[in-house]
This record gives sequence, structure tokens and C-alpha cells, in this order.
Amino acid sequence: MSLFVIAILALIFVFLGSAVIGLLRGGKAGSDRMFKALRMRIILSVLLFAFLLLAGLLGWIEPNGFNLLPTQ
Amino acid sequence: MSNEKYYVPHGTYWPIIGSIGISTLFIGFANQMHDVSWGWPVMVLGFAIIAFMMFGWLGTVVAESVGGMYNSQVDKSFRWGMSWFIFSEVMFFAAFFGALLYARVLSVPWLGGADNNMFTPELWEGFKATWPLISTPGEVGQNGVAFATNFKLVDTWGLPAINTALLLTSGVTLTYAHHALRAGHRDALMGWMLATIALGVVFLGFQITEYGHAYHDGLKLTSGIYGSTFYLLTGFHGFHVTIGVIMLTVILYRIQKGHFNLENHFAFEGVAWYWHFVDVVWLGLFIFVYWI
Repeated sequence: MSLFVIAILALIFVFLGSAVIGLLRGGKAGSDRMFKALRMRIILSVLLFAFLLLAGLLGWIEPNGFNLLPTQ
Repeated sequence: MSNEKYYVPHGTYWPIIGSIGISTLFIGFANQMHDVSWGWPVMVLGFAIIAFMMFGWLGTVVAESVGGMYNSQVDKSFRWGMSWFIFSEVMFFAAFFGALLYARVLSVPWLGGADNNMFTPELWEGFKATWPLISTPGEVGQNGVAFATNFKLVDTWGLPAINTALLLTSGVTLTYAHHALRAGHRDALMGWMLATIALGVVFLGFQITEYGHAYHDGLKLTSGIYGSTFYLLTGFHGFHVTIGVIMLTVILYRIQKGHFNLENHFAFEGVAWYWHFVDVVWLGLFIFVYWI
């Protein structure tokens, strides 16, 4: 499950990288590429966040929070 | 402009003012660290000089851009400049994420005797490899005093999840703003930009609240490797969100002034990418600090 989450995060970075290439090239084609890549990255990010919450609720993944109150 | 290939900028005094500002800031900072009474005001003065330089220099660049003084070669140089800046930002956060992962996956387990490494448990008597590790070996562990271990899990569904939702929503509103800009819908563009800025400000407010809770519970910058990496990562991220909010506000001002059109809006694109990046960094933090 962790690998899946990391893979989606890596894919999000790929889209961010694609957006940089669009930014670098400029013009109509570059601008289009940038917008579409950033749109894909936010769609994936929202889906990943929703998946994390769902996975946490259903117990597929255990949150790794922190607190400083000793349990013993 | 007369030259089609290169734009040769005129002489300007802003760089030397920037240098004076940075020097003043660091002289003040260094003396503040040594508890010198005038350290703090000199630091503020240095910051004010830098802010003055930023307004002046960037204002000049905006005026030159709006005045039609830049050609395609200058546009290209701006795009390359932004790309290198982006690269430096990615490397900056990669280093901190790397430190977090290195400590958690390698060095802390080694100190606990993992991997048959030279760092053995005998090095720090009583040390138990655990995460989060909020005490520093050598300070509390040598005399057999227990290292801080076994913590209850904080409610990941609380502020961390709310802040993630806030930042992701700001990414959505910014994407709508981007679309509105490309479609020429100025009012919608300004509305979505305002929403993005407001979400960023609310995020910062919640982040300050979370810091208050964490500090109150005893998590400090000095709380072992976890405290150090936690505050450095989230602190620098918060700093970047602050800068992002300022930049988005400047872009909103420029939109209101009519500086951008359907074809020419590089400044918006640069800031939009920056905000998306800051958003993804937080998502990474949320995943690696609170989930995985």
C-alpha cells in the first residue's frame, strides 16, 4: 500500500516536471502543456488525499502520527 | 528596443542596495545570536532594506515588461531563470526529505544495532531504535535513562488533514484561475485568485496553531532528530507558503492593473507553478510524516 502511495506521489512529480518543460518552452504549445500538466497534478493529488483518508477509515493503512505523551 | 537578439539592461543601483541589505541582515542576525542588544534592530533594518530593494527592483522589471521593452530573447531568459530557481527549490526540499528518510530508515536503526553496522547498541547504553525519536543519544541515554520511546498516535485526521485539504483546495482554485486567465474571464480570474490567497492565509493560521500544540506537548527544535527534521521541513514549507501568498497577492494586483493577456502571462505561470510545488511538498510531508 505504501509503495502505491509513493508511486502516485512520484507520478505527481512527473506532471510537475512536465509543467516546468512547458514553462521553459513558452508560447502557445508550452502554455497548453503547462496548464494540462498542472491540472493533472491537482487531480491526482486530490484523488491521492481522498484515497489516504479512505484507506485510513477502512484500516488498509495505519496512520503514523506522533504525540509526545508516553504510553507507559 | 533596437536590438532584436539581446536586451542590455541600463545601469542600476538596486544590486548594491540588495547587497547592503543582506549584509545588514546577517550582521544583525549574527549579533542577535550573541545576545548583543543592537542585533535585533539591525536585523529588522536589513530586512527592511531587502524589502525596499525587492519592491524597487521588481517594480522596475514589471514597468519595463509592461512598457514593451522586452523581446522574445528576454522572455526566454526569464523562463530559464525560473527553471533554475525551480531546480534549486526541488534540491532544497530533497535535501530535507533525504535527511528525514536517512535518519528514520538508516541511522536511527543503526544506532539500535541494525544491519550489523559499526554503530551498535553499546555505543549508547539503553538506546532503543524507535520513531519518532525525540531525544538525542548522549544527552539522556548514557546513564541508563530511558530514551523517549512509545508515543500515542496523534489524530492524523485533525489539523494535518485539514491543512492538507486546505492546500489542495487552493491548488484547485488556482487551476480554475489559470483556466479563467487562458479563457479571458477576468472577473472569475480575480475571484479564484482571491480564494487561493485566502486559503493560503488560513493554512498558515492553522500551521501556527499546530506548532502551538506541538510545542506545548514538548516537541521542540531540540527534540532529537525528529524534532529537528520536523521543524526544519514544516518551517521551511511554511516560509515558502508565506512567500507564495505574497507572490500571489502581487500577481492579483498585476491582474487588476491589466498586466496580463491570453498570450503573455509568464509571471502568472511562474507563480502558479511555485504554488503547485509548495502544495505537493506539503502532500509529501503529510504522507511521510503522518502516514507512511
